[in-house]
Amino acid sequence: MNLSRKAFVLAVALTCFKLPVWGHAILLKATPAVNQEVTGANTAVELRFNSRIDAKRSKLTLIGPDSHEHALAISEQSSPDTLSSRATDLTPGSYVLRWQVLAQDGHITRGEVPFKVH
Amino acid sequence: MLQLLDLFAFLSVLLRAMTLSFEALTVGGVIFRFAIAKGDGEGNLDSRLSRFVVWFAGLLAVTQAAYIAADSAILMESTQLTWADVRGAAFCVSGFTIIAGAVAVAVFARTRAARFVCSLGCIPILVGAVMSSHSMARLEHRWELAALTLAHHAASAAWVGGMPYLLISLRRTKDQAAAAAIVGRFSRMALAAVPILAVAGAGMSFAYVGSTAALTGTAYGIMLLSKLILTALLVVLGALNFKIVRAVRNGVAPDLFPLRRFAEAELGVGITILLAAASLTSSPPAADVQNDRVTHQEIADRMRPTWPRMETPPLTDLSPPTILQPLSAPASLIPGQKIQQPSTPGDIAWSEYNHHWAGLIVIAIGVLSLLARRWTWARNWPLVFFGLAIFLLIRADPENWPLGPNGFWESFRVAEVAQHRIFVLLIVAFAIFEWCVQNGKLSAARAGLAFPMVCAAGGALLLTHSHSLSNVKEEFLAELSHTPLAILAVAAGWSRWLEIRLAPQVVRWVWPVCFILIGAILMNYREA
Repeated sequence: MNLSRKAFVLAVALTCFKLPVWGHAILLKATPAVNQEVTGANTAVELRFNSRIDAKRSKLTLIGPDSHEHALAISEQSSPDTLSSRATDLTPGSYVLRWQVLAQDGHITRGEVPFKVH
Repeated sequence: MLQLLDLFAFLSVLLRAMTLSFEALTVGGVIFRFAIAKGDGEGNLDSRLSRFVVWFAGLLAVTQAAYIAADSAILMESTQLTWADVRGAAFCVSGFTIIAGAVAVAVFARTRAARFVCSLGCIPILVGAVMSSHSMARLEHRWELAALTLAHHAASAAWVGGMPYLLISLRRTKDQAAAAAIVGRFSRMALAAVPILAVAGAGMSFAYVGSTAALTGTAYGIMLLSKLILTALLVVLGALNFKIVRAVRNGVAPDLFPLRRFAEAELGVGITILLAAASLTSSPPAADVQNDRVTHQEIADRMRPTWPRMETPPLTDLSPPTILQPLSAPASLIPGQKIQQPSTPGDIAWSEYNHHWAGLIVIAIGVLSLLARRWTWARNWPLVFFGLAIFLLIRADPENWPLGPNGFWESFRVAEVAQHRIFVLLIVAFAIFEWCVQNGKLSAARAGLAFPMVCAAGGALLLTHSHSLSNVKEEFLAELSHTPLAILAVAAGWSRWLEIRLAPQVVRWVWPVCFILIGAILMNYREA
């Protein structure tokens, strides 16, 4: 169902169930950036958010050109709003960095950063 | 398990709203019992008050435990962490803190140590609530914001959370002097709560919103504005109550009966504000949402009145229907997150047509309910809801029965379709029920209250529905029209409630006018 139809039902029924909201950690800056082209087999990964992040309970996954998923180890936080890691053994192709974070206020947020390796 | 995570995600937001409400009712109950009632009143009033405190504290502990369970399940399933890893998370620590306070209040509320232990038990409840608020996740001014949040929670608990206890006290206390003393103390406390709420709210708004562009251009800002409007309504109801107290004290009015009725509406609006607050805690602070903010000009363009679309586009103009996969197909890989398909011009035309006809039906209901005051035939206005139900059944899900390729029973597998069909049944049941009330088949004094309650609850839930994390412009602009609908539904519900319970002349006109305005907004609804 698309947004239009959902909005219609919301308005007509004047009643609805609350829909899932995945908190409010917003990704402010990503390295590599969205759709950035990087060179070399290794690259630093750094994600900065708008709120304090529980790194121990957050997750970074790299999806390679062959759709294989590989969990990235999260380094010790340099700042409470930042997650860092390092992607290694990269081969040329399209990658997706999938992140899921637990904000300090208990909200879970997730998202993806696509990038390319030359 | 993955299929259950959608439900868990939905539950975790709902439980957060319930937790906020029970927190206010528990803390408000303790404050009322020991600072307002003070053992005044007759007979077993204190026992009655303490029983409600026990119930609300118990419900707070249960909902908080359920919230921890739901959030932990989501986290464990999506990260492969174990319970041993998850239990130290901040949301678990804050949750257990709240549970400890709530259990202490529930266990000791009816003992000799109640005053001391319950008062002390409110501290972990409030501290736990602050720990899971926006303030603790902020990078700057964390402790200042935590202090403001604490003040905001305590003041709203004292005022809104104390309302049901005021109603119980007034119902149980026959002695006018004792009742007036209790009401006087409560009024003074409410008067003190208002500036605390205002100052703490202003401070947090400054930090979380920061600019008028963010206030009007983000979901958080719009929710905050709607919360302010409802709070203004609450202050008006509170002021009316204060006037009644003074009139009784000066011997101008005979009793406090009207106050009880206004207090019921005040409690309902107060709970709605708490639900809106829960929605705020689940949205990103407006100051952080920098991309895709909607400008004043874009809002004005979208809201500009245009002629409604009364002709439906052909079914062939819609996005291709999604054929349901066999039950053995793998579940969504991203639990809890749904990918919205972008709307095509055909989809938009279909949706606008639906909204505009629905608006016309709602206007008809409002106008007929006004006419019903003079002509008895117009008392059949609830039957117009049948039109709305049939319209919803046929057009809400065009990819399913009766318009689409997915069969009637088959399409029940889609949660949203099942929800819509439940709505249809509810609307039909509601239409029959209210028709019976309007035509004297059921007593309006009690059965008639179903209509305002459904209206007010619908408005409250509409106000708390989800908001886009990424502030997608089109989604935000669609939501923008839902906020006034929700506020009007709340106003319609509680004005009808007051009409039935108190019968003041002025509110008789409020709810039909609200319906007409809701219809007018629906008729001007646009998605492009």
